[in-house]
Amino acid sequence: MDEKEPFGERQAARRSFLGRLGVAVAGAAAAAATGAVSSRETRAAADAPPVPAIPGYDWSKRRWAFGVDAAKCIGCLRCVEACKAENDVAPDAHHFRTWVERYAYLDGEDSARIDSQADPVNIEASGAEGKYRFANRYKDAKVDKAFFVPKLCNHCTHPACVQVCPTGATFKTDDGVVVIDHTYCIGCQYCVQACPYGARFFNPKLNVTDKCTWCYHRITKGLLPACVEVCPVGARVFGDRNDKDSAISKFIANNRVAVLKPETGNAPNVFYVGIDKEVS
Amino acid sequence: MPKHVLRLILLLVGLGVVAVAARNFLVDRSFYQYGHYRGDAVAEIARDRPKFQGVAYCQSCHAAQFAQWSKGVHDGADIGKVVKCEVCHGPGGGRDPQQDYINAATGPIHPDNLKLAIPTDTRALCTLCHERMPGRPPQQAQIAVEDHAGTQQCTLCHNPHSPRTFVGSFAAPEHPGDAAAGKAKAEMCAGCHGAEGVGADLPGPTLAGQSEAYLAAALEAYKRGARSNPMMSPIAVDLGDRDIQDIAAYFASLKCEGPPSAAERVALARKAGASVCADCHGANGVSPDRSAPNLLGQSKDYLSAALKAYASGARSHVVMSTLAKGVSDANAEKLAAYYAGASCK
Repeated sequence: MDEKEPFGERQAARRSFLGRLGVAVAGAAAAAATGAVSSRETRAAADAPPVPAIPGYDWSKRRWAFGVDAAKCIGCLRCVEACKAENDVAPDAHHFRTWVERYAYLDGEDSARIDSQADPVNIEASGAEGKYRFANRYKDAKVDKAFFVPKLCNHCTHPACVQVCPTGATFKTDDGVVVIDHTYCIGCQYCVQACPYGARFFNPKLNVTDKCTWCYHRITKGLLPACVEVCPVGARVFGDRNDKDSAISKFIANNRVAVLKPETGNAPNVFYVGIDKEVS
Repeated sequence: MPKHVLRLILLLVGLGVVAVAARNFLVDRSFYQYGHYRGDAVAEIARDRPKFQGVAYCQSCHAAQFAQWSKGVHDGADIGKVVKCEVCHGPGGGRDPQQDYINAATGPIHPDNLKLAIPTDTRALCTLCHERMPGRPPQQAQIAVEDHAGTQQCTLCHNPHSPRTFVGSFAAPEHPGDAAAGKAKAEMCAGCHGAEGVGADLPGPTLAGQSEAYLAAALEAYKRGARSNPMMSPIAVDLGDRDIQDIAAYFASLKCEGPPSAAERVALARKAGASVCADCHGANGVSPDRSAPNLLGQSKDYLSAALKAYASGARSHVVMSTLAKGVSDANAEKLAAYYAGASCK
């Protein structure tokens, strides 16, 4: 019995302490929250612009989207070289913001043979890394069907890469472009693994992840992305879906378009025409 | 209040201070401005300078090339194809990231001293799009390269700016040359090329009666460095597109005819081994092909020097470089003597 008394007192003291601690924590949290909210509001009112300070551009008015007409693509790879020049991507056979795949169904074969400009045979045909061309490797083969498919970042509506970024370095802008803040990227490459399309790569020089930005520096100045600018056959289409007369709005309205891997739930914003079941 | 409770409260307050300090000093102020990212990053990413400038930018200076291109199939928006300047020539801007060469006319992009690439291996360039290949859609113009052209360059026959027009029958330039204006501009040429463009005993070749397209192309080549000569290069650099057209028109308007008769010359040509030359330069040295110059009336020294320059690589031309390599120095002298035999009279 003697031993029980101190134990009971201790229990009572602990209970009252926990109660007071709860109040203190709640109070501190409330104070912190009001403080944080008020300071953020003040800051927003004082110096933060309502939209990013890009001269002559209001991102709230735009909803960018991209179209690819694979039935027009001739596999000349001018888009790949233009992208590398425009965005200072390493001129090698391993890092691409956009690339082109060739699907060839040969007579008697069940699945397509797939290669891209990075295939060693095609690099050899081009003569040098940094120059790209498709080797005429099926010239003498019996080809049932063949076509080229340009690929790039899909700038998804629900991007898996953004969800997994631990630092907030990659994000989706209000006008619909998924970009990377290289000053915040720590190079963990979690996003490279999360992307179901293989659209991201690691830039070993800067130690950051890199990917297509739809040439954000161009589209905010009223220009087209570099790959769309140079495509000689109009296989790449870009524009603002808020503008019903834009090239992309008409492209989506006039064609039965498909997206790649819709089952992943990423909701891509690159719309394809003329691709086959094996393209993903 | 018991001591340990006070410690706990102090610890919590301390943690709060650290958290607030971290938010204010370690996290960028614009973080969370628009979402879970640094708001300033958006404008930073948008700030990069575009490199590809578009056709309008090129057109402002290269009006003659633009005129050819815009009339040809490579500017075929109606047939769903537009091969813009920068598809073949590369980006017009952004070649000067350090802004070492800021040009008043063009701004800090594509300055004169950072020339764009003039593609030389057109066989490799054109076949990127036009080589027949499984996978290319049927509406794309495609060729089996070896059957179509052997090992020759595409530009031997095709004008790359307007491929359905053929070299030798270039569409007329936007501003046809004015021979009268050219006469005034050509005064300084007389010192070397003769008063009437006949340079028989002078250091320069005869220009009288030469085709306008050839003369304009030659001046253009000197101007942009594709040909070089200690006299001509500094002169051509200062000529505008209009000057070149006018001067070419002036010399083309002058006459250069001389004996012996065409039949005699054909016979002489066979003797001297010049029959191969006649394919392009004409049996009597007057070229039927507007892209090849007349050899009639040139001085012996000029012709033999030109042949030797092709053979050594000092001058280069898709046809002449190959042909001249098979000509010995002695034969070069003979050939030159043959064509020089009838100077303009």
